[in-house]
Amino acid sequence: MSEPVPTVLPLEVIDKAIGTEVHVLLTNDKEFKGKLIGFDDFVNIVLEDVTEYDNDTANDGKIKKMLLNGGQISMIVPSV
Amino acid sequence: MSSVQADKQTEEPLDLIRYQLDETVLVKLRGAREMKGKLQGYDSHCNMVLSDAKEYIYNETGEPIVKDCEMVFIRGDSVILISPIS
Amino acid sequence: MSEDKVKTGPSVFLSEILGQQVKVKLNNGVTYLGNLNSIDGYMNIVMDSTSEHVNGEDFVKTYGDVFIRGNNVLYISQV
Repeated sequence: MSEPVPTVLPLEVIDKAIGTEVHVLLTNDKEFKGKLIGFDDFVNIVLEDVTEYDNDTANDGKIKKMLLNGGQISMIVPSV
Repeated sequence: MSSVQADKQTEEPLDLIRYQLDETVLVKLRGAREMKGKLQGYDSHCNMVLSDAKEYIYNETGEPIVKDCEMVFIRGDSVILISPIS
Repeated sequence: MSEDKVKTGPSVFLSEILGQQVKVKLNNGVTYLGNLNSIDGYMNIVMDSTSEHVNGEDFVKTYGDVFIRGNNVLYISQV
């Protein structure tokens, strides 16, 4: 009767963003912007060339490469 | 004399605490507290037992409150950091 | 998809940085700089030659060897 609605899995959205710049919002006032290198089942993410934001103010000095603990992540926003 | 040396890099973090058994350690805890004492035992949750321990409670003033305990059980979820003291 | 994850994911990054100097930031904002000795699936970390920094720069003290409980870790980065 009704057409099947195409579903998009959340982890697919993250997978598609690999190689592009993402904005990551944490459960506190911190944010990170950088290139998404990879992630795991717990959504721990590896980012490259990262700027750290504290209450909307950028920290000086970019981080080359990092592993961000998924437990504090509330949102991952692809730039595209 | 041949000796088999364990590849230190394949040892897990908790294995490295094992070397601290019977040694004096500093444990940083949530709530601006630190404990120094002899490590009697621990488990994978970081629950720990220290003997002859001193507890340091820090507040806004520089001077910590110090408490002594002969034997103390620390619940692992309050543990932040463990470091050996020489 | 799972192949890509294996090539680029967190476990790969961790094996890359073993033995290197890293910066570990905890949930409470305190930062530790040191050489990464070992790490496990809970993000428990052992580092040596460790220094503690508060408010980004303010150096507090050196610890030598430290074990950090994984639930406190916000991120681990290359230096």
